[in-house]
Amino acid sequence: MEITTTTRDNAIVLSLDGRIDTATAPALEQAINREIEGQHRKILLDFSRVTYISSGGLRVLLATAKKLKNPGDRFALCSLSPEVMKILKLAGFTSIFSICPTEGEALAGW
Amino acid sequence: MPGGSDPLTPLAWQPVPGAAGAFIWPLIRKIDIISSNSYLIATPDVLILIDPGGLPEQADQLARVIGECRRERDRPVFVFLTHAHIDHFIGALSGPAFASPETAVFAVQERGSQALECGDTKLTQADILGRTLPPMKIGLDLFPGTWGAGKNIPVQVAYPNGATVTITYTWSGTDGELPHGRLEFGNSPPLEIYHTPGHSPDSICLGMGDLLFIGDILFAANPGVAGLSGWDQKALVHSLGHVLTLLDEGGITTVLPGHGRAVTAPDAGRMLSAVRTGAQELSDIAELNRGRAEQAAAFAEDCMEEVNELFTIMAGRLYYVSYVLDELGESDIARRMESVIPGDTVDELLEAFSAFADEHHRGRGLSIQLALKAAQVIGKLDRSFRREELTRIIDPTLVDRAGRLLSDYTQLLRGFNPPGELSACSLVTVIEAIVTGLSVPSCSDEDLLSSADDDAAFIRILLARIGARPLLEDIAFTLDADGQSLQVSVDREIFSDLVTYILEDLVGTGSDRITIAIRKEGAYAVVIISGAVPADAVPEQEKTRRFLHGLAGRAGGTMKYTEDGGMRRYLIHLDLLAGGA
Repeated sequence: MEITTTTRDNAIVLSLDGRIDTATAPALEQAINREIEGQHRKILLDFSRVTYISSGGLRVLLATAKKLKNPGDRFALCSLSPEVMKILKLAGFTSIFSICPTEGEALAGW
Repeated sequence: MPGGSDPLTPLAWQPVPGAAGAFIWPLIRKIDIISSNSYLIATPDVLILIDPGGLPEQADQLARVIGECRRERDRPVFVFLTHAHIDHFIGALSGPAFASPETAVFAVQERGSQALECGDTKLTQADILGRTLPPMKIGLDLFPGTWGAGKNIPVQVAYPNGATVTITYTWSGTDGELPHGRLEFGNSPPLEIYHTPGHSPDSICLGMGDLLFIGDILFAANPGVAGLSGWDQKALVHSLGHVLTLLDEGGITTVLPGHGRAVTAPDAGRMLSAVRTGAQELSDIAELNRGRAEQAAAFAEDCMEEVNELFTIMAGRLYYVSYVLDELGESDIARRMESVIPGDTVDELLEAFSAFADEHHRGRGLSIQLALKAAQVIGKLDRSFRREELTRIIDPTLVDRAGRLLSDYTQLLRGFNPPGELSACSLVTVIEAIVTGLSVPSCSDEDLLSSADDDAAFIRILLARIGARPLLEDIAFTLDADGQSLQVSVDREIFSDLVTYILEDLVGTGSDRITIAIRKEGAYAVVIISGAVPADAVPEQEKTRRFLHGLAGRAGGTMKYTEDGGMRRYLIHLDLLAGGA
């Protein structure tokens, strides 16, 4: 999986490309942690090129949600494929963090 | 297999216990379907190779060791097959070392011998493994049809490799006895042979000193093995009983299977007893031939897509429960949640299958290999999650469906026809029950309140409240039965699974408005499940559709799928019972 990091105003957007599985979930977690350690507390994950997420990937998302729950923190996902959306929805994750159709909608109001 | 140190050291010469002057060189492989273990025994008068295996390089390695032995002291070579499945011998056909009776005499039970001499691709499993098989010359038929007449009479036979063998069959012909023979090569320790059909008609066990070589009977009741051409359940149960008696009689300390590590006799006894129990339950299974292996492989892939999704959702739900509990300050219980399904193990298993399937599609694999890989993964998944505990936390429909999927695959591979228990029932009643189960929380507010004074009950109900989220709770749902009260013939459990999968697909794809309509069309009742999905939603995947079609068939009906202008429709046709309208 490739991870591209860009800055949008005061938020960090991590654009993910590929599968989030046992092999790649640790790299995602490290990339997110690097941003949080660098005091970036508004993080958006762009899922438009993610085709698969395993339970290991779900755990990384929850771990991030736990770290970004202070007032002023933001954590959201955008542009999910139907396959990934289905998994998040049926696993009950849609009530934990924001899931937006587009990057623009996600960042509006941050 | 039980742990502990190996009774034998692989790839090294060591004395055969209880057989003075005999030494064994075991070649023990990791278990697969390509090649068996090989065991080379050297006595002062003969070199005995049991199962040269399925790989040319394995046969080459054995030929080199045999060459070294013969340079030290020239002796004739005999190759015994525990049975004539190609993974036990075909590697030996690639080089000159085992090519002629002058260099090596093959010894096989008579049925196997006949199969090899005529190039029978079914009994040898060459067909299912996609191999061709040239006819072979077998020098020594074991347990030939005429041997009963010569009971207890030693017969000397001379062979082109210079050996003279004295063969004595000691079986008395009574049903309760294990057919047995003894082969003597000069003054060296004798080789005992036992006819143990079941895994195949020609299966034999061999004994020397305190060692017993058992071929594949340890695996004979496994999915993907049981039902192979030539497999015979009754004979297998019978043979397993004989071998267990042989072990009980004592004298054997180590048992050497055709695949995997050597085991001690007590461990082998326990394992063979379990195999016998499993085999006793396997009456009426269909033959596992090439066609059925292909069918199983296709079902495996469709099934694994769903398994993957269900297990990821179940693991995700537990993480969610764990997250909420952590928020509530219940960190200890939160941590416990994550052990109910070992997510990492599940991910690794599913990814291993996915990688294996990708390789298969690149044209390097065989259907039976994919089918067996799926069976291996499914067996491990089945053992990996704590089903009862999980059912108390997340939606039981998810857990039950996952369990049924795993079991359905194993049943199919075993050759049982997946059960379709059709019964007459009111279609509206069945659908109402399904919808209610997917709309109402498993624990009510009242349940939660009434548990407030009991810590254990409160935690149990709280977990279920968090973990079990009714699928249809936020959906505008309509059941339109149009006043129909239709009686249909359907397998309720499979039909419920089918409807649930469809509703899950619709909800998961973003449909927030779903209708189930029931209509009568001639001799059929039609269930139309429809929902609007977002404009950018991709159509249902081919594998998912195939899986749902299969479920519909087993439920007693047929299914059609249409998608038009963002409206997804599933039409399930069921046989209407006469007078049921």
